[in-house]
Amino acid sequence: MNRWGIIAFIIFGAHGTAQVSYQQLLRADPANWLTYSGSYNGQRHSVLKQIHSGNVRELVPQWIYHVPGSGRLESVPLVVNGVMYLSQPNEVHALDARTGRLIWQYRHEPAVRRGPNRGVAVYEHRVYFTTPDAFLIALDARTGNFLWQSKIAEAKEGYWSPAAPLVIKGKIIAGVAPGDYGMNGFLDAYDASTGERLWRWNAIPRPGEPGAETWAGDSWKTGGGDTWLTGSYDPQLNLIYWGIGNPAPDFNGELRNGDNLYTECMVALDADTGRMKWYFQFTPHDVADWDAVEIPVLVDAVFRGRPRKLLAQANRNGFYYLLDRTDGSFLLGTPFVKSVNWAKGLTPQGRPILVPGVEPTLQGTKICPSTSGATNWMSPAYNPDTGLFYVAALEGCGINTKSFEKFRPGGFPFDATGYVESPEEPRQLYVRALELTTGKLRWEFKQIGSRRYGAGLLSTAGSLVFAGCDQGIFSALDANTGKPLWHFNTGQGITASPITYTYKDRQYIAVEAGSDVLAFALLNH
Amino acid sequence: MLWRTLAAVTCGTLLISSARAQQTDVANPLGSSEQAIAQGRELYNRTCTVCHGLNGTAGDRAPALGGGRPYVIRTDAAIFEAIRSGIAGSAMPASKLQPLEVWKIVAYIRSLRATASDAFVAGDAGHGEHVFWNNGGCGSCHMIRGRGGISGPDLSNIGGERTLSAIRDSLTKRKLEIPSGYRPVEVITVDGRTLTGIAKNENNFSLQLLDRQDRLQLLTSDEWVKVTYKKESLMPSNYEKVLAPADFQDLLAFLSRQVVHKPERRRRSEEDQ
Repeated sequence: MNRWGIIAFIIFGAHGTAQVSYQQLLRADPANWLTYSGSYNGQRHSVLKQIHSGNVRELVPQWIYHVPGSGRLESVPLVVNGVMYLSQPNEVHALDARTGRLIWQYRHEPAVRRGPNRGVAVYEHRVYFTTPDAFLIALDARTGNFLWQSKIAEAKEGYWSPAAPLVIKGKIIAGVAPGDYGMNGFLDAYDASTGERLWRWNAIPRPGEPGAETWAGDSWKTGGGDTWLTGSYDPQLNLIYWGIGNPAPDFNGELRNGDNLYTECMVALDADTGRMKWYFQFTPHDVADWDAVEIPVLVDAVFRGRPRKLLAQANRNGFYYLLDRTDGSFLLGTPFVKSVNWAKGLTPQGRPILVPGVEPTLQGTKICPSTSGATNWMSPAYNPDTGLFYVAALEGCGINTKSFEKFRPGGFPFDATGYVESPEEPRQLYVRALELTTGKLRWEFKQIGSRRYGAGLLSTAGSLVFAGCDQGIFSALDANTGKPLWHFNTGQGITASPITYTYKDRQYIAVEAGSDVLAFALLNH
Repeated sequence: MLWRTLAAVTCGTLLISSARAQQTDVANPLGSSEQAIAQGRELYNRTCTVCHGLNGTAGDRAPALGGGRPYVIRTDAAIFEAIRSGIAGSAMPASKLQPLEVWKIVAYIRSLRATASDAFVAGDAGHGEHVFWNNGGCGSCHMIRGRGGISGPDLSNIGGERTLSAIRDSLTKRKLEIPSGYRPVEVITVDGRTLTGIAKNENNFSLQLLDRQDRLQLLTSDEWVKVTYKKESLMPSNYEKVLAPADFQDLLAFLSRQVVHKPERRRRSEEDQ
């Protein structure tokens, strides 16, 4: 027997100590970046302030790690005690977060080419990720050793899984895609130790279940409603908040008359059982592919004189919403982009007041915002010090058409046609700061030259907002004014969300750009 | 003169027959049966070891045939032809053995080169598993399908990756080369600590160490005083001595059967959907 082995075996047992506990996840240990949004509340705000608005101009790159074979990375790296875990489809890389040096790499086979992958989850000594062939995989965090895998869904039917899993109380929460293929969505919980499935919540009700009446005929069978972006969690209420994707077929509502629950909803699920406590539907009977998956941001704040448990979401349909997250009641909804032509406003219950005729036609109809959305997977951020909700906002319109496509089993698009960006109203990316409780625009930063999807945002207690764009510019904005204080040309389009962490008393900012990951820190610290 | 003529004739025959063999790519009619391999081994050790070594090792006048190096003559048909007709331009002569006997030797040589999971390995794999997790102590450093230690390589697919001889060698021979990511290292830090473990990655300016307690230690060059790499792998090389012969054989049988079935890559048209 290996002499070290004997010693390790006798003194420490077969495994090292746990790396990440539920307690650490609960308090969102600021030295690390432990979940997709950095904390269960989805605020993407760090209390770290070694880097602040007064010294951010001294921010310099520390290292660049190239992810071989990757295209446009869209994942959020996690950091645990100086080790960074990042993913691309089928792969996880563990890096020394201070030097960018590779510690281990794992590749899932067969490596079905489908992307993106949006990140990993960490719990105890394991790293979890999901794959283009719809498996949930557990690896040893220290070496990348394969531990187990569980099949989430049947890849042959067309399913896959891009979202970063979320760990809650020893359960791994994992979602699926693509609703656009007519695959009915669901959200699963798996045992973090064994991979055994503990519960499944189906996003599309079956005949006889509440909500089934919102689907005409058999249209529920291919209704979509996927779960492709990571949600948030309120430990006190023990509720998981998860945004649900669009109904299928995307652009022809005649093929699925009704409100099409629970597509385009925010749902609140009991974390122990997966039972739905409430839902709120942003875009009933959506015909513009405005998945409502955008990050639910949980904030406790005074709203109209009363302390409330709020849920804020900047929705792809162009409206900024505030809900009461205890029961899902609608509190506020106001456009955060100028280009909204499909609804005149919202009723007191939050239902859109539709503008007649603004829906896809055979010839094409202008719909604003475009199907790209007023925002998309790019994470927003909330700073409790400024009370501002920061969002990567996309102005622009699309020309949407429809067809009478039939569903084809086996994993094929079921869009019933599509959209093109309107040449008259080209897209333009902004960073916008909204007052949390009113949705009023406090400032905006125009990303000049950026006419495509942008990057997500990071807010820090250093009074900074970090933002990227497809032009490759990574910038730090003043959280109060939006004034750019620092920028760096990464040379590649940024479509991921930045993170921050500390190691050995030094604060780092990291962001994926193109096929690389870059980390920054202050020059003299 | 006679020798030269013979060589020319043999060479011509070889070219023709090997071309024919390559064309049809004949598989061994005896397959890879346990019996054929055993008989082939006997024949091989009786007739080939004038030049080649025993049991597929290197001999005084000819190279090892049992894995561990790249081979030009690889298929059943090509090995058959090399034995039957010799190899032109080399000292390898044509054999007088009957075709059936040659096929037996082919089966044996292929078994030497196959990954361990394809080879016939005697022994009780079930008991070998017991040895792995108990008196062999392998599981304290190696993992198999999620169970075991992490300081050594994961062995879940060892039977599918290595030849039997390579597995045997790693259990019994001193390692000349330690694979990167497993090199033992000792670091004395600026603050006076001594860290020992294996280097997962290293360069002039940083070192990523998995220490003896299975913790990652991330170091930069300003934090260490001295880094000493050990020449010896942590993997012991005396299992033939410390394990009873039956236990050793059973362990080989168990390791040989460790295969993670990796489905073949999908066709491009399927991947692109």
